[in-house]
Amino acid sequence: MIISFENQLSRFLGTIAIFTAIIVVLFPFFWIFLESLKPPSLGGRPDVWFFEPTWENWSEIVLNSGVPLNILNSFFIALITVVISLICGAPAAYAFSRFRGFHGARYSILAAEMMPPAILILPLFLLLYKLELIDSRIGVIIAHLTFVVPVITWFLIGFFDEVPKDLEDQAMIDGYTRFQAFYKVILPIVRPGLGAAAVFGFVLSWNDLFYSLLLTGAESRTLPVAIASFWTFRGIELGKMAVAILIAVIPVLILSYSIQKHLIRGIGGSGVKY
Amino acid sequence: MGQVTFKNLSKSFGPANIIDGINLEIRNSEFLVLLGPSGCGKSTTLRLLAGLETVSSGKILIDGKDVTELEPRERDIAMVFQNYALYPTMTVAQNIGFGLKAKKTPPKLIKEKVNDIAELLGLTHLLNRKPNSLSGGQQQRVAIGRAIVRKPKVFLFDEPLSNLDANLRLEMRAEIMKLHRELGATTIFVTHDQEEAMAMADRIVIMDNGLIEQVGTPTEIYFQPKTRMVAGFIGNPSMNFIEGQISKNCEISMAIGRIKVNIPPNSGKDVEVGIRPEKIKLDERKSKPTEIKVKVLVTNVELLGPRAVVKMQHESGQQLTSVVDHNEMDKYRVGTKISVSLASQALHIFPRIRD
Repeated sequence: MIISFENQLSRFLGTIAIFTAIIVVLFPFFWIFLESLKPPSLGGRPDVWFFEPTWENWSEIVLNSGVPLNILNSFFIALITVVISLICGAPAAYAFSRFRGFHGARYSILAAEMMPPAILILPLFLLLYKLELIDSRIGVIIAHLTFVVPVITWFLIGFFDEVPKDLEDQAMIDGYTRFQAFYKVILPIVRPGLGAAAVFGFVLSWNDLFYSLLLTGAESRTLPVAIASFWTFRGIELGKMAVAILIAVIPVLILSYSIQKHLIRGIGGSGVKY
Repeated sequence: MGQVTFKNLSKSFGPANIIDGINLEIRNSEFLVLLGPSGCGKSTTLRLLAGLETVSSGKILIDGKDVTELEPRERDIAMVFQNYALYPTMTVAQNIGFGLKAKKTPPKLIKEKVNDIAELLGLTHLLNRKPNSLSGGQQQRVAIGRAIVRKPKVFLFDEPLSNLDANLRLEMRAEIMKLHRELGATTIFVTHDQEEAMAMADRIVIMDNGLIEQVGTPTEIYFQPKTRMVAGFIGNPSMNFIEGQISKNCEISMAIGRIKVNIPPNSGKDVEVGIRPEKIKLDERKSKPTEIKVKVLVTNVELLGPRAVVKMQHESGQQLTSVVDHNEMDKYRVGTKISVSLASQALHIFPRIRD
C-alpha cells in the first residue's frame, strides 16, 4: 500500500512539475499573442487582461510597415548563410571525421564558437566599411558565417562518424575518386543530418540580433533588428512588437519541431555514440 | 589475366611494422587464401593491394604492371568487405551497376549486365529493394554481384563470411567456389578461419606478425608445416608440442622418452617436437625402435560427434591431446592409465624459440 501511495504521490508531483514547465514555457507566447490583439490604445498596458480583440496591429504590420521587407531580408540572409555553410561545413566535417591522428582537432571548431562575438565585431565592421558593405545583406551574411559555419561543421561530424569507412573505400574501388565517393555515396547517406544542420544554422542566422543590429541600416535590416526598433524614444510599441515577435518565432518553432529527432544527435555531435 | 606480385612489400603505421617485407607471387586464376591470427597483417595486405592504404616500401605488380602508386579505381580490382559495404541509399540494381556507371557504360548495357548477374546469383526479385531490407545472405550476394559485374582482373574478399551464421556460411562458401570455377578470375581471400581456408584455397598463405610463415597447398600446410607457428596454428585440436634436446646419434631426448629421428638441418640443440593429435595411437603392443611408447593418465574425454578428444597427462607433467573415433571411446576412461605410441615419421621437429 505504501508503495502504491508513493507511486501515486510521485506521479502527481511529476504531473505538476510537467504542467508548471509547460506553463512557464508557453505563457510568454500566450501573453505575446494577447498583446498582439490589444487595440493600440491599450498598448504598453500589460496589466489589462480584458479587452476587445482586434487585428489592427496585424494589418498595420503587414500592410504599413517595413516588417515584410525585414522578413525577406532575414530569410534571404539566413538562406544564403546556410547554403554557404553547408558547402564549406560538410567537406570540413567529413575531413575531421575521417583522418587518422586528428581526433582532437575537431574541438578546435568549438573554440571558434566560444569566442565572444564582440571580439569580431570591430574588425568585421572596419572590413565591411572599407569594402562599402555596411548596410548590405552580403555584409550580414559574412558576419553570420563566422558562427554558422563552425556550428554546422560541428553538427555534421557526428553524422559522418556514423558512416562506415568501407563505403567510401568501396566507391573508390568501384571506380570513383575520393571526392566523387564523398558526394555520390557519403553525402546522400547523411542527408538527414544535412537537413537538420541546415535548419539549425538557419535558425541561428534568423535569430541573430548582435551582428545585424550593428551592420544593417534601412535597406538590409533584419527581423530581430526590426523587433528591437519598436522600442522607440516614445516608448515601446508593444502591440506591433508582439506581432513581429510571433512572425519571427513561428518558423523557428516549425523548423525545430521538424528536426527534433536529429537535433539532439547533432548537438551531442562528435564522439557521442548511440 | 590477373597475376599479382608483391616485391618486398612493407607497411608501417608510425613505428609499428604491420607488413614487414613480404614477397609473393599470385598466379593467374588462382584461389589464394591469406590466413592468420587477427592482427597478423592479412587484411592490411589486402588493402595495400586494393590501394586503400599507401605502401611504405616495396612494389605491387598486377600483370607485370607496377600499380604501387595507382589509385584504387585505376587498378581493375573488386573487393567484398566483411560488412558488405552496400550503398544504403541505392537499390540492389543501382548497387550492382554503380561500378559500371563510373566507367560511363551506357545505361542500357548496365541494365543488361545487372540483370545477368542478378539471375546468376538469384537476386532478380530483389533488384528494386534497398539493402537494409535484405537478409545477411542476400546482402552478401549483392556485394559479390557488384564485384563480379565489372569483370575485374583480381577479386579481393576481406573475411566476407564471418558475419553469416554457420549454415549460410557453408552455402556461400560453396557458391563463391562455384563462381570462381566459372569465372576463373584470380581471387584473394582473407580469413582467420582455418577450416574455410583449407576448404577453399588452391594455396594458403599463412601470415604472422607481418611476415609470411608459409605458402603452400592446404595439404602441404597441414602435413608439412615449415614453422612452429604454422604447426600450432593449423589443426583443431592443435598439435601437441613436447620440448626436447638433440643428443648424439640423431636422437631426441624428451621428458616422455627418447627417439631416433631424421633431424632437419639448422634445428639447433634445443627443439620442440610436434605431433598431430590423430597420430597418437592407443597401443598395447611392444615398442618398436621407430616409436615412443608412453604411459599416460587419461584426464578428460570430450565427444565431438563422430570423434572424441582425449586429454592425457604423462607423469612428467607433459600434456598430450589425441583424437579418436567415437566407437573407440570406451577404451579411454578418465582416471585410467593407458599406453600410447608416437611414431617417428609422424613427428615434426622445430627449433625451440626462446622469448
